[in-house]
Amino acid sequence: MGHMSRVGDHLVAVENTPKRHNMIVCTLCSCYPWEVLGLPPVWYKSAPYRSRAVKDPRGVLDDFGIKLPKDTEIRVWDSTAETRFIVLPMRPAGTEGWSEEKLADLVTRDSMIGTGLPLNPGQK
Amino acid sequence: MDGVHDMGGMDGFGKVVAEQNEPPFHAPWEGRVLAMQRAMGYAGAWHIDHSRFAQEKLPPATYLTVSYYHRWALAMESNVLERGYATPDELKAGHAKTAGKNLPRKLTPDVVGASLSRASFYRPQQGPQKFKPGDRVRTKNIHPATHTRLPRYARDKVGVVELCHGCHMFPDSVATDRGDNPQWLYTVVFESRELWGPDADPTLKISIDAFEPYLDPA
Repeated sequence: MGHMSRVGDHLVAVENTPKRHNMIVCTLCSCYPWEVLGLPPVWYKSAPYRSRAVKDPRGVLDDFGIKLPKDTEIRVWDSTAETRFIVLPMRPAGTEGWSEEKLADLVTRDSMIGTGLPLNPGQK
Repeated sequence: MDGVHDMGGMDGFGKVVAEQNEPPFHAPWEGRVLAMQRAMGYAGAWHIDHSRFAQEKLPPATYLTVSYYHRWALAMESNVLERGYATPDELKAGHAKTAGKNLPRKLTPDVVGASLSRASFYRPQQGPQKFKPGDRVRTKNIHPATHTRLPRYARDKVGVVELCHGCHMFPDSVATDRGDNPQWLYTVVFESRELWGPDADPTLKISIDAFEPYLDPA
């Protein structure tokens, strides 16, 4: 990733793996890595997301049309201080050897919040 | 404060509905409110935690029914009044009626770019770090009537320290004009069953960022 001076001094990237899926929320308000991702969407700041993400993240993922394997660990990061979190999505199958630029095309905003998955090759 | 803003774990708000091709703003005034908020932040009129606390103090029915940027505007009005930058009469009139209080500094077009940089919340260490990654901690059962970052769902719960983020200014103090009062900050992870009981999804773990005054050894 490139230069991120506007993010301030505390951005933590959390990596999705076959065993673990990460999701970011701010239950108290609307903390969001906006310097990287832009202004947060309305749903991120809404009561349904803020209330349910920490208790029923699989239900929230369902609202986004995402189903994860039953045994995948889900880790929800509630941004309650000035630390900002961003999800590093898992590399989609069939992208081995792709350049950073080409991979970036598959990364969606929601996949960096954890309410989406990156696109698959050919979906773009 | 135990306000309606502290939403983690509440039921009944329904599905998360994402808007397709969402614009940055839904009305021109929303962009103006964001710009005003930025300008007042740069001016040093108040701290961002004062904005957060002012939103939390809105009547619950208002908080839940007005839009996000409307809430910002209402909080800004409270702070403008509370901190003596305008009178209720002036807000109503929409223009100044007195010379008013001077701002510490002013946002001008030449510094807008620089003003968008996020401020540092790090502060020099004030004392030894009490916890390290791997330590078990119990969050305190506190219910301050003022701004706090310890959400209700994570009070009096046992978790494990995962990360230490150094010392940061303490929002609970800043929001109540008691200074930076820097504190160690940790990411603390909880098992879902510790927070939500025996029926909780066993594959779920939740973390909060907790300031040291919220934590006891467990």
